[in-house]
Amino acid sequence: MARSTSKDAQDLFRALWSAYSATPTNLKIIDLYVMYAVFTALIQVVYMAMVGSFPFNSFLSGVLSCVGTAVLAVCLRIQVNKENKEFKDLAPERAFADFVLCNLVLHLVIMNFLG
Amino acid sequence: MSKKLIVLFLGLVPLLCTCFSPDTPSDRRVLVLLDDFAIKSSHSIFFNNLKSRGFDLDFKLADDPTISLQRYGQYLYDALILFSPTIERFGGSIDAAAILDFVDSGHDLIVAANGNASDLIREIATECGVDFDEDSSALVIDHSGYAVSATEGDHTLIASDDFIKSDVILGSEKIKAPVLFQGIGHSLNPSNSLVLKVLSASPSAYSANPKSKLTSPPSLTGTSMSLVSVVQARNNARILISGSLSMFSNRFFRSDVQKAGSPTKHDKSGNEQFVTELSKWVFHERGHLKAVNVKHHKVGEVDEPAIYRINDDLEYSVEIYEWSGKTWEPYVANDVQVQFYMMSPYVLKTLSTDNKGYYFTAFKVPDVYGVFQFKVEYERLGYTSLSLSKQIPVRPFRHNEYERFIPAAYPYYGAAFSMMAGFFIFTAVHLYHK
Repeated sequence: MARSTSKDAQDLFRALWSAYSATPTNLKIIDLYVMYAVFTALIQVVYMAMVGSFPFNSFLSGVLSCVGTAVLAVCLRIQVNKENKEFKDLAPERAFADFVLCNLVLHLVIMNFLG
Repeated sequence: MSKKLIVLFLGLVPLLCTCFSPDTPSDRRVLVLLDDFAIKSSHSIFFNNLKSRGFDLDFKLADDPTISLQRYGQYLYDALILFSPTIERFGGSIDAAAILDFVDSGHDLIVAANGNASDLIREIATECGVDFDEDSSALVIDHSGYAVSATEGDHTLIASDDFIKSDVILGSEKIKAPVLFQGIGHSLNPSNSLVLKVLSASPSAYSANPKSKLTSPPSLTGTSMSLVSVVQARNNARILISGSLSMFSNRFFRSDVQKAGSPTKHDKSGNEQFVTELSKWVFHERGHLKAVNVKHHKVGEVDEPAIYRINDDLEYSVEIYEWSGKTWEPYVANDVQVQFYMMSPYVLKTLSTDNKGYYFTAFKVPDVYGVFQFKVEYERLGYTSLSLSKQIPVRPFRHNEYERFIPAAYPYYGAAFSMMAGFFIFTAVHLYHK
């Protein structure tokens, strides 16, 4: 069995990156959006660890708005992905409408819980 | 006729006004039941002492058929002295149950027994948590703590100085000389938590018949045996039970006393001081507390609110007085505590005092809402128990009483709004990207 080296790892990442480059641009935009949401959530968790959990409801709503956004975006990504045969009957417009509606409900709840 | 009634009524007014009442808790009218009227003169110092303190003594023979404790549902007396150790049946309507009812309704009782105490007296004592030695011929004997005497050689006359350490029961002044005691000993019922040993026997004392040889170990020995005991019932009725009637007698009051083995000879026994101080306690001339003016309010306000909010700061105050026999004197202590209580005390604070009877404290209502009580449960040896409780509800914050726009929460607000902005931008990009 061949020993793994750092060159293997580099090859692996390069292969992954080249495979990902083939992804359609609209899915890449969704991925960027998801990363943005997850990153914002992480920042808040670190902030809470430093400052303390005092306005805990605010913390929860801040983090949950990020997590909720990320989850909804992932759902959208699954549904608009052409490669995914499971949702081939679902029009991407319909998927986007669902996404918008869910986001509205999410942010309504977040606003109520934030103060 | 009506004129006569008015005169009669006016004559009764001062009598009615001197009755026992919450405002003047000392007893006034005392019924003394005697075996025979000789006791009235042989114990006259004790009785005269009571009279000089303002008590109205009514002497009756214990088997007098006209005696009764109550008439038309009203008690005729505030206290009862039973100096009738040999009585088997009281006259009139009085029996053991009537005497216990008398105590149950908050009246005081002094019982003195002696060597041949009757079953009736023993029964009353047993109901009060005091069990006299069952051997009717037994007396307390002490071969090392006896009083030196020229005439008596069986060591049943005891000089005892093993007093309870309580200023309120025995007065702040130390009892100067040993107390002479000749009579029967008793044990305290361990299940009765209200009865206290005031004068306990010395470690070398025991209870047996002095005339016969001791064949079996005595049932009562040493310091577990009590000579004089008191009870303060939960209704603050006070009872004194002594195994010796002669302890109250003029002969013992006047007698000199020298305890065996002690070089000092006292000219006068401690009986008079001991009995006087003890009777002051029993007749509520000392150790009777009252609490008035219970007040609580928010800090900076004066009126008592109908409801508190969680985390309110409040002030609580109460005034406590002790009855001195004539007036209400400020009660001074540093151990009065108030509880803020709902199922269990959430706040327990010791009250500060200004030494004029005013007790106060301030504390913050806990962060818990519900129906609370301010409770003062004050129970100290010899004092009447104070039990105050005042109910007060505590509500949570109203929805508009919460803090808004907390600086520490700005990153969370920012995150939530940036998610909304991100949603708009993403929507635009997603829709117009081709």
